[in-house]
Amino acid sequence: MNRAIRHIALLTLKDLRIEARGRQTIGLVVVLAILIVVVLALGLGPGSGSSGLSATAILWVAYLFGGVLIFEKTMAVERYDDALAGLLLAPIDRGSIFAAKLLANLVLMFTLALVVTPVGIMFFQFDLSVAPGGFALVMAISMIGYAAIGTLFAALTSSTRLAGGLLAMLVFPVTLPVVLVSTRVLANLFEHNVSIGGSGLAILIAFDVMFLTASWLVFEIVLEA
Amino acid sequence: MDSATSKLISRLYWLVTFCLLVAVTAMMAFWTPREETMGDVQKIFYIHLPTAISTFIVCFVVFVASVMYLLQRRSWWDDVAFAAAKVAVLLASIVLLTGMIWGRSAWGHWWTWSPRLTFSLILWLLYVVYLMIRPSIESSQRRALICAVYGVIAFMDVPLVYLSVKLLPDIHPSSIQLSPDMRTTLLAWFVPMGMLVIGLVVTSFKINRLHRAISEPVEEEVDEPRLVPAGGNA
Repeated sequence: MNRAIRHIALLTLKDLRIEARGRQTIGLVVVLAILIVVVLALGLGPGSGSSGLSATAILWVAYLFGGVLIFEKTMAVERYDDALAGLLLAPIDRGSIFAAKLLANLVLMFTLALVVTPVGIMFFQFDLSVAPGGFALVMAISMIGYAAIGTLFAALTSSTRLAGGLLAMLVFPVTLPVVLVSTRVLANLFEHNVSIGGSGLAILIAFDVMFLTASWLVFEIVLEA
Repeated sequence: MDSATSKLISRLYWLVTFCLLVAVTAMMAFWTPREETMGDVQKIFYIHLPTAISTFIVCFVVFVASVMYLLQRRSWWDDVAFAAAKVAVLLASIVLLTGMIWGRSAWGHWWTWSPRLTFSLILWLLYVVYLMIRPSIESSQRRALICAVYGVIAFMDVPLVYLSVKLLPDIHPSSIQLSPDMRTTLLAWFVPMGMLVIGLVVTSFKINRLHRAISEPVEEEVDEPRLVPAGGNA
């Protein structure tokens, strides 16, 4: 168990160190996400995002596209110079590789959210002070499921010709329930003061559990194909 | 079974299916009573419900074939999953269209974000993506693997989509009161619909096998390299 945790920590830090030194992903993703928020803000007009439903929906668009780029880039690192072959030769469980990639993706996604969310709140004059904890909790749970699916499909599509486009095609329809539920839960929280919990949160947790398990089980087959 | 017998059975099967379809359409049009509030548009329900149930069954076939491909890595299972996915998209499109026609008549709009219409739309999107990604992956083995994983994940997503759309406000009828002859027509529709779906999946599967035979004349059934003992014969 300790060995697996050590491997996961080692691989996660390896990915984060590569990102810290190159800074190729996070800068690109943050600028893309801000661009998406600006385009939607200008397109929809002033005051359009002040409700909980529209502000969270707009933020989700930025997270979704930013996420796809993150998943693609963290997996592409392994494809250069056959780094993946070296990783597979190392005496490390494939499940640990999945967990490490997922953690690295989550750290980058949370960093993206930390920058883009205040920008979105500022542009749309959305009052987050009503329930900042609830917002962070719902978004964090949603992002775990999204990152699990994204990590799995990024491993599958990284060696194909249309890696990024294909990844977006595969991930977006599967993630639709997460977007739908989290925007509904947050709209209820911000507009009607209905506390989070109940069926909405249960669906989000079920999504996380189901797809974390499925991705972990399938990842070995995917890597070795 | 030789090819002449197989062709005869196939033709007989489609003839019976066609005759049954004509019979149930006639039942629907002339025998079942006209519903009071919705009028003739209500009759779309006899097509809508059996098609919706068939869609779930065909999606389940995609799931089973995808799981079997992941376990066995035989291209046969990929062809089954692809055939079922094509039929699933066709059926889901019919469900969406008939649902929209119903919605136009019942609520005055072609589209409302009611839970069941939204569910049908997401289900349709999930399986359209399955078909769309296939041509963009060059390697047939990679394509089969990506589609198999997607086929499993998409089917696992279906109950979550169903639960999530329930959070939307609902105006869809949860149950409909049917007279005995209405119920008989509805049940009768399941027979040709089932035959049509089976026939389409089998035909599509045969076409997929032919395509594969043409594009990959020397087929390697299993992707994984087989270990050959040193000095032994393969």
